[in-house]
Amino acid sequence: MVTYLVRRVLAMLPTLLIVMIVSFFLIHFIPGDPASVMLGPHATADQIEKLQHAMGLDQSIGMQFVKYVSQIFQGDFGQSLLFHKPVTELLLERAETSVMLALLSMIVVFCVGIPSGIVAAIKRNTWIDQVLLTIALLGASIPSFWLGLVLILAFAVRLHWLPSSGYPPIFATGDLANLRYLILPAITLGFSNSALLARLTRSSMLDVLQEDYVNTARAKGVTNYRVILQHALRNASIPIVTVLSFTFAGLLSGTVVTESVFALAGIGRLVVESVLGRDYPTIQAIMLVVAFIYLFVNFVTDVIYAFLDPRIQYH
Amino acid sequence: MLCIVLSLMVVLTGLSVVGQQYGGTLRYATIGEPPHLDLMVVTSDLSSTIGQHIFETLFTFDETYSPIPLLVDTYEKNADGTAVTFHLRQGVLFHNGEEMDSSDVVASLERWGEYGTRGAIMYKHVVDTVAVDKYTVKLVFDEPFGPMESLLAFNNGGPCIIPKEIAECAGIEPITPEQYIGTGPYEFSEWVSGRYIRLVRFEDYKSPEGDPTGYGGARHAYLDAIDFIPVSEAGTRVAGLQAGDYDYAEQIPADLYSSLVADSNVTTYLLKPPLFPMLFRNTQEGIMSNDLMLQAVLAALDMEPILLAAFGDLAAVNGSVFPEGTAWYTDAGTESYSQADIEKAQELLAQAGYNKEPIRYLVTTSYEQMYAMSMVISDQLRRAGFNIQMRVYDWATLTQYRGQSDEWELFMTWHGPVPDPSLIAPMSTTYPGWWDTPEKNALVEAFNSSTSFNDRYAIWEEIQTLQYEEGSWIKLGDAFSLNIAANQQVEGLDDPQQPPLLWPYFWNIWLK
Repeated sequence: MVTYLVRRVLAMLPTLLIVMIVSFFLIHFIPGDPASVMLGPHATADQIEKLQHAMGLDQSIGMQFVKYVSQIFQGDFGQSLLFHKPVTELLLERAETSVMLALLSMIVVFCVGIPSGIVAAIKRNTWIDQVLLTIALLGASIPSFWLGLVLILAFAVRLHWLPSSGYPPIFATGDLANLRYLILPAITLGFSNSALLARLTRSSMLDVLQEDYVNTARAKGVTNYRVILQHALRNASIPIVTVLSFTFAGLLSGTVVTESVFALAGIGRLVVESVLGRDYPTIQAIMLVVAFIYLFVNFVTDVIYAFLDPRIQYH
Repeated sequence: MLCIVLSLMVVLTGLSVVGQQYGGTLRYATIGEPPHLDLMVVTSDLSSTIGQHIFETLFTFDETYSPIPLLVDTYEKNADGTAVTFHLRQGVLFHNGEEMDSSDVVASLERWGEYGTRGAIMYKHVVDTVAVDKYTVKLVFDEPFGPMESLLAFNNGGPCIIPKEIAECAGIEPITPEQYIGTGPYEFSEWVSGRYIRLVRFEDYKSPEGDPTGYGGARHAYLDAIDFIPVSEAGTRVAGLQAGDYDYAEQIPADLYSSLVADSNVTTYLLKPPLFPMLFRNTQEGIMSNDLMLQAVLAALDMEPILLAAFGDLAAVNGSVFPEGTAWYTDAGTESYSQADIEKAQELLAQAGYNKEPIRYLVTTSYEQMYAMSMVISDQLRRAGFNIQMRVYDWATLTQYRGQSDEWELFMTWHGPVPDPSLIAPMSTTYPGWWDTPEKNALVEAFNSSTSFNDRYAIWEEIQTLQYEEGSWIKLGDAFSLNIAANQQVEGLDDPQQPPLLWPYFWNIWLK
């Protein structure tokens, strides 16, 4: 197992290297450049040329790549062209919002999606099942920007229970109460992701509940509660864990629409701002970090598989 | 006795007798974040809105958009108008505590002349910039330069005065946040990306004297701080203001106008003067370089539905480059504007020898109003017989392609209001579209070298007429930006002497 884990960690390196190369050339080959963005809509051609020269953007692409690689190997993502600070510092600033939002959204997903799926499976073909399935369908169909705005109108504008937007980071302010800023965004994100998970949990549970070992357990007099939670749910968990892990990775990598609707300074909005502003160092760093998040979550998921199902062996 | 005591209490507690109140943080929901706040080298409206609180110019504009002194106390010109001597206001401090003097002004003007977006317009006529003494600066021109005051007043890509040591070291690269040191009523405090840009009151600010008028006159910093908060979703800006999370919000969609006017908790502001959307043609190469093609486009377009699609009721059909009621308004040449005559357009296309060659129209989705207008324009031109091929890009890509004459025939942008025709970006021959004819250049030269308003106005009428005959761009109309304020919280915005101008400012504004 340990050998396997070490091998998996080492296997991440070439993947990250490929992402690094592809992201660099991809962003440099699309038209548009940071100089014209920085100078505004009425910049003259002469001004743009001078700024490109000052920023080193007129150097050959090979030269820029060598510089970029040498920086990365020194652990330096460079300086953000748009935000006037080191990219690492920028990412750390934005990471808290994304991480906290991802965690809260996962709580919503976990608390709503899995229980709904289990109940729907147990009450298969009853009105409860139909209601839960309809809600799940709605959750998967409602656009998050619409749901977000409706929640803002209801809970911020009408009831004044929660703030409409923004999030003062708790690590910077030390104020845990700031988590209230993330309640509406977490519900928005959690609702749509819960819907998917509820449907998946229901179908996995239905498969497992028809297995012989479940009937055997019932025949042996095991309580319904233990049959469902210990026997059925554990064996139905593999696809659930897979979806949960990739949902979490997606949330950590930023959620553009929800972050925009709630004016949250997270990774998702940073991606859009950096791409539109052609902030090369920031885009490259985000692509590398996101790739790493996915690789890491994938790796952890594999470890969890083995824990859930001891029959799974890694060599 | 009681009156005296009460008056003293009012003064001591920071309240003035007319209700102005010190304190509080104004929360301004912006459409996004500016690229930076170095106003000399950027023409972003958002940069100007924020940066004008930090940086000041030698002149500024009054309520009629006429230039008046700001950092300058008095100035005089020699007999032939080629030498201008500026006497600076004394005792004006930078935010670093040092007094502004002529060396700072000279260094700032020289940087702007070399690298500033609009600096070259003036500095190609400047022979020398001299610090005569500590508070006196002299500009020497090769010939009289009519728009000097307007250029020195316009902060957007304009000559903001910064400390000499910063100006001398800065090149074309924007100065960094720690170098945001000006003489304005608010000083830069903090920029937390994605969350806010915070300005705080500059306690040692030396205000100009006189009643407030437009951007001019006395400036009082009543607010402790101003937070400019990026909120990209318009719906969130409105809801956030209604929920009490913001005090002021900008660029609200026109379709919300009527419901917001009816909301007793919200005050609406239509910013005047308007910005103007423009359709450009490539005069350098390709089928659109034929002037008859310009005439065909002018004949085909019907501006009302174009403006309606993007701005709803917040637009006006107006062929004059400058809006009605301003000094430069003229209807010269506007008989060609918004003809909506498809038959005439088809005849002109035939005369031009147009044979359905593709016309590449660069369009952006980065600004939804530009995209909406482009959809209607394309439809109108297609119905007249143009073979329009829309090429839809984000703004950064469009700005690169529009600089390459072999990449396009038409593109769209818009322009903020300017106080003087010389500040209109495409008056330059290097602006994409490249309107560069001997007639136009002679008129522009005569316009810039004349100092008499009447003479300049007459020349401007000729330029506008010529623009409709051979120019690189067509004005589509006037569009008013809609901003809103929470009327339970913000005071001072309704002062008739301070009409809502393009870049809203928050000196002389206070919170209840």
